[in-house]
Amino acid sequence: MHKNLYRKEHRLFRERFKRFLSEEIIPFYDQWEKEGIIPKEVWKKMGMHGYLCPWVEKEYGGAGLGLEFSFIITEEMAYAGVYGLMAGLHSDIVAPYIHTFGDKEQKKKWLPGCISGEIILAVAMTEPDAGSDLSSIRTTAKRDGDSYIINGEKIYISNGILSNLIVVACKTEIESGSRYKDISLICVEDGSPGFSRGRNLEKTGWHSQDTGELIFRDCQVPVSNLLGEEGKGFYYMMEKLQQERLVSAIMSQAAAEAAFNMTLNYCKQRKGLKQAEIPIDINGITEMATDIEIGRTFLNSLIYDHINDEDIIKKVSMAKWWTSDMANRIISQCMELYRDYGYLEDYKVGRFFRDVRAHPIYAGTNEIMKRIIGRKLGI
Amino acid sequence: MDFHLTTEQIDIQKAASEFAKGEFDPDAALDYDLRQQFPLTIWKKACELGFIGVCFPEEYGGQELGLLENALIAEAFCRQDSGIGMALALSDFGSEMIVRNGNGDQKKRILPFIVHGKGIVTSAFLEEGYFLAPLATTAKINKHGFIINGMKYFVTLGSMADYIIVVCQTRLDTPNAQNVVLLEREIDGIEVSSMGEKVGMRMIPVDQVAFTNVRVPAENIIGQEDTGYFQLQNFLNEMRIKTGAMGIGIAQGGLDKALEYSKKREQFGKPIASFGAVRNKLADMYMDVEMARLITYKAAWSFDQGKPDLRAILMAKMISSQTAYKTTYNAVQVHGGYGYMTEGHIEHFYRDAKVLDLFLEPGHIQRNMLADEILGR
Repeated sequence: MHKNLYRKEHRLFRERFKRFLSEEIIPFYDQWEKEGIIPKEVWKKMGMHGYLCPWVEKEYGGAGLGLEFSFIITEEMAYAGVYGLMAGLHSDIVAPYIHTFGDKEQKKKWLPGCISGEIILAVAMTEPDAGSDLSSIRTTAKRDGDSYIINGEKIYISNGILSNLIVVACKTEIESGSRYKDISLICVEDGSPGFSRGRNLEKTGWHSQDTGELIFRDCQVPVSNLLGEEGKGFYYMMEKLQQERLVSAIMSQAAAEAAFNMTLNYCKQRKGLKQAEIPIDINGITEMATDIEIGRTFLNSLIYDHINDEDIIKKVSMAKWWTSDMANRIISQCMELYRDYGYLEDYKVGRFFRDVRAHPIYAGTNEIMKRIIGRKLGI
Repeated sequence: MDFHLTTEQIDIQKAASEFAKGEFDPDAALDYDLRQQFPLTIWKKACELGFIGVCFPEEYGGQELGLLENALIAEAFCRQDSGIGMALALSDFGSEMIVRNGNGDQKKRILPFIVHGKGIVTSAFLEEGYFLAPLATTAKINKHGFIINGMKYFVTLGSMADYIIVVCQTRLDTPNAQNVVLLEREIDGIEVSSMGEKVGMRMIPVDQVAFTNVRVPAENIIGQEDTGYFQLQNFLNEMRIKTGAMGIGIAQGGLDKALEYSKKREQFGKPIASFGAVRNKLADMYMDVEMARLITYKAAWSFDQGKPDLRAILMAKMISSQTAYKTTYNAVQVHGGYGYMTEGHIEHFYRDAKVLDLFLEPGHIQRNMLADEILGR
């Protein structure tokens, strides 16, 4: 079935987006990597061309397209090695929280900005002492009249510096009897009193992607910023993590494919040169090609099932860990085919090497993926 | 058979480890990496305390120790910090050729210079296409000596070196007819330029060096004429062992940090060291490091016995560099999001480790060499 995943309109959309990428993003990307941030105008440009949240209904200003169009954007950006501009996080990971759990007012207030790029989204779950163990978060939100007063700290938040609307996981009740029932999702807008940002953190890769710390000191937001119901945040997050993991697998698979194709071309070119003495590791190359083919087949079947509303939690957890490990394995091996040149930043394979190291960690570490799979297997 | 290090070797190991712990400030290490700077003051101190050039003969300021002792020092340094460790371990890159093949005058001129931290020596042999014979860089003989023309790539510390040891072709009709020539970097006709930023090993500049009609007196040739190819092969063997030592150091450093962090970091109400997924990783890391160490020490020992075991040497380089990569990959993973952040003090170990896989020759080429050996060519 998944062979029919993409039709002519998808191909046209993909071509159009690739053109946009090569004209508006790629020529400037090295500069943004150096600067450690993407200019906000670029987000607006993405929005203007309809590349943010294209799946949102027309009544909120969206294009009303299928989710797979959004995945095409994520995939093409990953092919191009553009990880800093996290459209996938914005459109397919955070916006769905507002879309699914927000009420009509909230959707009307925020979704048009998410589509135009005026609003840049982030979701804040991780804390210094709560990573894999999400239910142990300590950020609290106490009801005070028509406001919530939020106190706590979040770390490693993607879009942490640029974002102006952040879905924050908070404890609205302490010890209801179940740690899972204490959590609520509350939207914090830029400029809310008591909200500030920490550093833009240095990291292995994803240099143009702002990874920040968020600080809430008696941060006051209106009660109307609560998404859905109080105490259901943990379940909302669990529901939406399926798609987050799919997006993550799409990025890993595309990274592996891009680095592999680049390396294959390089080897072919070198083979054609008279002075070239790069013994081609045909065995290694064929194994990589096989891994990539297996990953692609699995991934496309999951995209197909996911857009047809099937429960793919077990399989997407498998895909997330397997494709992210595979991408790292393959890119590491690709570097070796470049020999010493692979270590030079100019050759781009090294940037892929630095960037994909994040994939087995974020969106739930690969160890957590295996925990989920284990549970689904009944062990 | 005895797997124990001697008392002297243990003392050396301890001294190197204490020096590294005392002098390699973790935050300074991140700063050197970020700014792409060689750790000059630490290197000078290491020279003062006799950690550089330990294999050199005593009459030239060395301690006449073996490659195994040198490996123990490189391992201890890299264990404490991958970047500073590699910078120190590679600060006398190529001096081996002088120690093994140089004449008294050359040794007197260069070896004390290195030992006393007066300057840096490097070696240039890689060329476009990676052929080691024949080389495109030529040394034409005239009545005063040689005229060198050509281009070398991936010269570590090229822009900082005071001396560059160059391998060049003397006769084109005989691929192995090569000379090893000692050059002062400041002489006319040598142009050094950076090859650009790197994924890791950022404290060490990697440069390309162009030689245009570089005139060298005949006395600068190291060893016998036309023996350059064989000198280089021997040097590469020493470097493979030293790479093995850097690999186990970096891997052990990653393991140290992973062990410490996994005991301290709690999730789901207990230390992450109590979870199977983490424990499996730690056990794998330990096993890999131990295996890499055994083969590397064996290779170094065989070299010091005067009977270099080429199989062990190739395996030491392959296993150690792979171990460094795998172990630091897992060390980052154990640290989670913190591991990907520079401030976690582990991600640069991962970026640094990868160079060892590429250094000299990557795994698939070394597997070919090992296959040649065990098949009897």
